[in-house]
Amino acid sequence: MKLKTLMMAGAMSLASSVAWAGCSYENAVEIKSLSAGFEAWKAVTDAMAECGNFSASLDQEFREKQPEAFAANPSLYQIGGVANGTLVPLLNAGTIRPLDDLVEKYGQNLTPNQLIKIDGKTMAIAMMVNAQHMMYRSDILADLGIEEPKTYDDVLAAAAKIKEAGVVEYPIGGTFKTGWNLAQEFVNMYLGEGGTFIGEGNQPTINNAQGVRALEVMKAMTEYMDPEYLVSDSTYVQQQFQQGKIAMANLWASRAAAMDDEAESQVVGKVAMASAPMGAAAPATTLWWDGMVFAANMTDEQADAAFKLAMEGMDAEMVSANNDAAVWLITGYTPGKLAAGAAASAANGAVPYPASGPMGVMHTALGNGLSDYLTGAKDAATTLADIEAAYLTAAKEAGLVD
Amino acid sequence: MSSQVMRQPMGLRLSSAVFLAFWCLIAAFPILWITVMSFKSPVDAYDSNALNVIFGPATLEGGDGLSILDVLAGIAVIWGTFIVAIRMMPNMVRSYSPSGFQWAGWVIGALVVVVGFIVVFFSVLPTIMGVLNPLFGPLGRDVIGLTTEHYSTVWIDRGFSKNFQNSLIVTTGVVTVSLTVGTLAGYGLARSGSNLAFWILIVALVFRALLHSVLVAGYLPVFINSAEWLAPILGENAPTLYGKPFAVIAVLVAINQPFTIWMLRSFFQNIPAELDEAARVDGCNHFQAFRRVIMPVMWPGVITTGLFSFLLGYNDFLVTSLLLDAQNQTMVPAIAGMFNRETTTTDQVVAVAAAVSITAPLFLLVVVFQRQIVSGLTAGAVKG
Amino acid sequence: MNFKTFAAFVGPSVFMMLLFIAFPLVSVFSQSFYVTQPIYETVEVESCTPGFLKQTCVTEERSMPILDEDGEIVTRTEFVGLQSYANVLELGRVWDAISNGSWAAFQSIDFWKALRFTLMLTLVTLPMVIALAIVIALVINNATKAIKGPVIFVTLLPFIITPVIGALSVNWLFRGDGILTAGLESWLNRDIALFAQAWTIELLIMLYRVWAVVPFAAIIFYAGLQTVNQDSLESAVIDGASRWQRLKFVVIPHLMPLIVFVSMIHLMDTYREFEAIVGFSSQGHVISLQWLTYDFLVPDEAGNRSISRASASAMLTMVGIIVLLIAPLRRTWRDHKGGH
Repeated sequence: MKLKTLMMAGAMSLASSVAWAGCSYENAVEIKSLSAGFEAWKAVTDAMAECGNFSASLDQEFREKQPEAFAANPSLYQIGGVANGTLVPLLNAGTIRPLDDLVEKYGQNLTPNQLIKIDGKTMAIAMMVNAQHMMYRSDILADLGIEEPKTYDDVLAAAAKIKEAGVVEYPIGGTFKTGWNLAQEFVNMYLGEGGTFIGEGNQPTINNAQGVRALEVMKAMTEYMDPEYLVSDSTYVQQQFQQGKIAMANLWASRAAAMDDEAESQVVGKVAMASAPMGAAAPATTLWWDGMVFAANMTDEQADAAFKLAMEGMDAEMVSANNDAAVWLITGYTPGKLAAGAAASAANGAVPYPASGPMGVMHTALGNGLSDYLTGAKDAATTLADIEAAYLTAAKEAGLVD
Repeated sequence: MSSQVMRQPMGLRLSSAVFLAFWCLIAAFPILWITVMSFKSPVDAYDSNALNVIFGPATLEGGDGLSILDVLAGIAVIWGTFIVAIRMMPNMVRSYSPSGFQWAGWVIGALVVVVGFIVVFFSVLPTIMGVLNPLFGPLGRDVIGLTTEHYSTVWIDRGFSKNFQNSLIVTTGVVTVSLTVGTLAGYGLARSGSNLAFWILIVALVFRALLHSVLVAGYLPVFINSAEWLAPILGENAPTLYGKPFAVIAVLVAINQPFTIWMLRSFFQNIPAELDEAARVDGCNHFQAFRRVIMPVMWPGVITTGLFSFLLGYNDFLVTSLLLDAQNQTMVPAIAGMFNRETTTTDQVVAVAAAVSITAPLFLLVVVFQRQIVSGLTAGAVKG
Repeated sequence: MNFKTFAAFVGPSVFMMLLFIAFPLVSVFSQSFYVTQPIYETVEVESCTPGFLKQTCVTEERSMPILDEDGEIVTRTEFVGLQSYANVLELGRVWDAISNGSWAAFQSIDFWKALRFTLMLTLVTLPMVIALAIVIALVINNATKAIKGPVIFVTLLPFIITPVIGALSVNWLFRGDGILTAGLESWLNRDIALFAQAWTIELLIMLYRVWAVVPFAAIIFYAGLQTVNQDSLESAVIDGASRWQRLKFVVIPHLMPLIVFVSMIHLMDTYREFEAIVGFSSQGHVISLQWLTYDFLVPDEAGNRSISRASASAMLTMVGIIVLLIAPLRRTWRDHKGGH
């Protein structure tokens, strides 16, 4: 880092605000967006910034800020980045606008799959999907003569074999970090077993045989995991894979590209992508989407400009430049080998994450309550009963249950 | 302890030296380690073998490295900077700055040292070493893998300098306002024996014990909607407080007030009340007495307290991450964002480099103000 | 000093504290007795979300909040008395656990689990911090002049470093095959997983806390040592006092006000421990009171947050702090009265 480069950087950061190379038009209306900060959002917002007059907040606190910021009049941000769950509060509060007229005007390149419809009205535009699916070391499994695992029984059998053969110490990796991640693992398993979370009158319905079975499978898996599983998040599991420490994991599709990244992975080309293992009813995974919403509290002129800009960010050019950053829904995406797992899971009947107000409460209650079972402090039925009780307390406070 | 009787036996001196060395190792180790990590390729940085992290074989393979000569020269420059900052600069500041403007002298002095160090270390030194290395044969060959690419990623590609500016604005604001308001209050509290003064102190102490997350969550909706509820008072130009550095400064100052007034109060209590009483006999009112008599002698305590305010403003995560948006984001939330994003291992090392970058100014601050901290504390800022 | 002058000096500071601390505090206090919630109606909604290739559409019953004509969510606020406190304390379960004599069941209730760890962290680290800081201060004071500067500099490092970064870097050193864990493993020749069970995490958090606080205390004590009366030290030597006796009867009493000050700050700050829980992601095993409050406060994906329980838990935490601080506060009262 020479002094000259530092100076250059200063000059460039000044220059970047006036350059709109790589955009087909010049944006004249000031537009701001608030979204999560992962790679795909960076790619899209960078493409949008090329048109000028656009600033993006890629903020890890976006969940907390978005409902308030969109409720302000005029809205503090014109564009919001949401997923299955984070759409709910905006939808409930009515702070995002229907997009049908704008889709008709500027959305020639959108596919019907991208339009998120609530009661027939388009409320958001999806740009990518994500799902957890099976990733495994094809070399290790082939050496030991193990077939691609189709169910969790297969996974556990394979893990036992791998451990016995002593290839790796911990055959399975898992995003079991207490909180959101751990709850998500349970959601996968439980939906795979065909369970439902919320019943009549928003009452919880997880304390049943399917719930117990989901917990038991999770516990069985932890036998083959690094004992520090309660602190391991996606990035940690990804690193374990890259360093050749684990052989199988149900990991996010957005992480697939990292396995073949030569700069940091020691297992390039050795990780195969497959469908999430089947539960009794469906693959043990959920489909997630990420996309954009547009504030209700802005002028039509702003909405026009914001939507046009968003279309520029979600164009084929951006996708071809960032093909492996996500499983894009946008025209121009060529699904490669890395997207095979997500595709196979979807083909096997994976369901979307059942986002709703009560489910948000349930997810939090699960995230806080599950670790007691895995550490052995409670048995399965007590754990589930306590989670239901925690859910009820929170849901009553939120007004969802009488 | 000059007298003969105070001389200590060899055993005690030896064990205390060993203890000190051990403590310094523990104190510095995590920081040293992340500094080492930040200069390595991702494969080396997360290697479980400590030697691989230190010597960075994969980084060296990538063609980035340092020779023994580079290392020696680098250490010399750092040591030189240290000496300049701790010995020469304070002396020069003392002898050259006009009285009453010492603080300006310190600011200028610190700036000169920083800029000088950056120029020498990143520009002059590599150039000289580029010429010298080939001349020295084996001494000039690369032996340790080391790359500065993560730093250039952070500062140039990721626009971290913008976050740095924001941090600077917020921190400067917090220190100035906090000291101005706090000095007045501290003086008032120290010179008043009323029960009200006592209760203000006690309530302040309880305030200090409050959970910041609860306070901050309360501000968020109010700040976001401020344009609406301020409109009746300020009309058209009512600002949205969310995302405004001055609003964050006000919050941080308020949160830090309890500690500030407690420290400054005990400090002022140690300045004999006779001093300002004498001034008042000469016809000054309280404010004049404060300005003429107290201000000239209060600097050690104020600098120490100011340092604590600085740390609070600079290191704050909770308030800045919630109340600022991306355009005004300071460094700490920016780094936390880097770590929490869906990241590759490379990104993690880049984030480590960012983490090291933000500790560098703190280093410098301590080097420069170290003596003032100790003398400020000695002068009684913490009488309890 | 008359009241008017006093008010002019103290006014700006008090105003800021009132506006940004006292006012929110009052609202937190009142929120802990009320519950504000949207009014929901059940409607049938058809929603279509993207699949991998084609959309999935479902029609289901959903709870949607009712909006008024301005488009705002209709809410109702209800006085619930101590209900939120009861929800946090879960006294029913506490009673069950006690009547069964089951410590494990007692410790599976969030608030009590958090309280147990917070108190333990606070009270165990306090003597460790004070003792270690005094030793470090004495040793630094004892060192030759040439190395004092650099040593003080190094000592201050853990104190000045951004807490989030500090916790993270300790985390890297120990998590998984972090180099210090790897070092321990090769030294003890056995497999170690420090983040796999509660007690090792608790130990790590305590050590981290001590590491982070000792510098502040040590520097303050060091400053205090500079003002020890040399005459009384020397007369103690003439009286034949041993090194230990001099420390016990001259130095420690001199440092006593500082020890109280440091203890007070340490009690308050440790009682609010939060960064370490997040930095070590220990919430599966160990939580603290401040973390619990924070957890109630953070909205879930669907935007629900438990404001009332967060307020109640914050108030309970504050009561705890006041109890801890009573002793040092009485001392301050005496000083205040005595000083004028």
